[in-house]
Amino acid sequence: MTNPVRLTGIAGAPGIAIGPVWRFEAAGPAPQTAASRHGSGQRPADAIEAAAAEAARQLDSLAGRLRDLGREQESTIFDAQSMMALDPGLVADAIRRAGERGDPVEAVGAAAAAAAELLAALDDETLSARAADVRDVGARICRVLRGEVLDVPTVPSIAVCDDLPPSVTAEIPPGFLLGIALAGGSRTAHAVILARSLGIPAIVGIGGLIAAADRHSAPSLQPVSIAMDGERGEVVVDPDAPVAAEFRQREADLALRRASAAGLRDRPAATADGDRVLLVANIGTPDDAPRALAAGAEGVGLFRTEFLFMSRQTPPTETEQADAYRRVLEAFGTERPVVIRLADIGGDKAIPYLHLAPEQNPFLGVRAIRLAYADPDLLLTQLRAIWRAGAAASVVPHVMAPMVATLADVELLMSLRDRAHDTLVSTGVPVAERMVTGIMIEVPSAAFLAPELARRVDFFSIGTNDLTQYVLAADRGNAALAGLQDALHPAVLRAIAGIIAGADAAGIPVAVCGELAGDPAGALVLTGLGVDELSADAGSLDGVRAALARVTRPQLDALARSALDADDAETVRKLAAVLLGPAR
Amino acid sequence: MRADEIEVRNPSGLHARPAALFVKTAARFTSTVTVQNVTTGAGPANAKSILAVMGSGAARGHVVRITADGPDEEQAISVLRDLFASGLGEELEA
Repeated sequence: MTNPVRLTGIAGAPGIAIGPVWRFEAAGPAPQTAASRHGSGQRPADAIEAAAAEAARQLDSLAGRLRDLGREQESTIFDAQSMMALDPGLVADAIRRAGERGDPVEAVGAAAAAAAELLAALDDETLSARAADVRDVGARICRVLRGEVLDVPTVPSIAVCDDLPPSVTAEIPPGFLLGIALAGGSRTAHAVILARSLGIPAIVGIGGLIAAADRHSAPSLQPVSIAMDGERGEVVVDPDAPVAAEFRQREADLALRRASAAGLRDRPAATADGDRVLLVANIGTPDDAPRALAAGAEGVGLFRTEFLFMSRQTPPTETEQADAYRRVLEAFGTERPVVIRLADIGGDKAIPYLHLAPEQNPFLGVRAIRLAYADPDLLLTQLRAIWRAGAAASVVPHVMAPMVATLADVELLMSLRDRAHDTLVSTGVPVAERMVTGIMIEVPSAAFLAPELARRVDFFSIGTNDLTQYVLAADRGNAALAGLQDALHPAVLRAIAGIIAGADAAGIPVAVCGELAGDPAGALVLTGLGVDELSADAGSLDGVRAALARVTRPQLDALARSALDADDAETVRKLAAVLLGPAR
Repeated sequence: MRADEIEVRNPSGLHARPAALFVKTAARFTSTVTVQNVTTGAGPANAKSILAVMGSGAARGHVVRITADGPDEEQAISVLRDLFASGLGEELEA
């Protein structure tokens, strides 16, 4: 039973990892609610002090473990976080906010957010980046208050599970997650997107993974190790010495290829015969900006703003939002455009203060711009914040609305944009001189309406993850449908070709901000189809830039023509692989 | 009360790691210890709070004023001054 077992899944994020398995099971202990804590009769002040002390203890022990592993540099982050948890100012502020009967969870969250805002406002990048650490500490104290328990890996490990929720991934300290191997999931699962941003390998849809991992650990009750290659989608459970050596060799080869790709960062992305494509980054928070700039991003094609709205009890204020947007706009300056996506929330994401009704099918429900028909305040506040941020940073902000399905959606977007502008101007608040306004094309109806929509907006950005899920009617999270989740399916490519034709007729640019844009094969096909801009996670930019530099425009045109006529996604991948060459 | 003014020579200023060491050391004393960023005017802030110390935004080249008030004020100032001079656990640029 100790022979290595080779398994194959779908490549999620590139990279090589060898390490012990950390098994995660979704069913954890039921979280104790704040209400039940109140029932215990504990005063908010006592509860907060005890939870802060426990959070500090957890952070100290994380720091200690990292030090034992010789990761001195990373351990200091947790040392500092432990001190933040016990910070007299933070704890006193939380206790003051909770008062005699307030909710300690809400109070700690608000106190941490206030402390984070102060740091974020500092005119010093190193210090303002610590704002995220303070928010993280606040979230940890809140988890302790809620009685949530999470077993995280105690040594650097490869997560093996059916799927890994983002909240759990966030809990695993940096350095403790070497790779993610999922029996379920899809190429666009959140865990995969996160793996790419962390620069660790991920593989999804690995049949037989859990059984093999559990069987191999059973006899000795020792955790088994696995080796994984995220680029080829290969996993070896319980690797022996020759297999381990083989994976180490692959790791060395990959490091060489990455170093040569990184050498192209200071040049704009272009084909071998000089055809330019704007290569920009997807970011999730202002703290991601330095990494995107370091990776040579020529701007931001997708600034997700959901982080401002999640994990809190009240909506973010206009000023708080304006400050976050200003930081990103300033980081990229006037030469590198930043596209801010209006909040893509509703349905499947729990936002307590919106009081949304539960839905049978949230992906087809009242979300994003659709929320604004009944209650425009959320988007109006966000748009006002963007107008202000543009003025504060002296740049022209770009915005785009997700989930646009009809011409009426565009009309609503434009009227909200203008209303936000006029309200500010009438009260004398400085606003940006204009706002470049685009829409995401991710709903099939919008693809069909591309010519009409294109005449009404400044740009399109194709969200290939959702477009694929809607065109092929295949749930992104359902591993049984993995074969229907490849955005390179000719049906999706034909939709994209139609969207580009509509945009071209109106003379507006087309970007792609889905995972396909960061996949070298996808980037070649999309560029061949005539996309003007590719937006991907910072970690994917090197690979895309290197792939483009290796091909010519006539080769890409031919690739696009054959791809549109192909029978399936597999065939398209094979066609692209010919151009990508044996080096991959 | 005792006070002293010191120039920050750490390459990235009083960011997380040096700030943590400074705060841990300040917390050992019974005296009230504050830190003020003389260059920007921020503070004075509680030197026993890491958030307050980082919030003073002390960057390289800034001058900070440290005060201590209490029974061990003399020792506090002298220990904290030496700590700054030794680079707060970091290599200092010449």
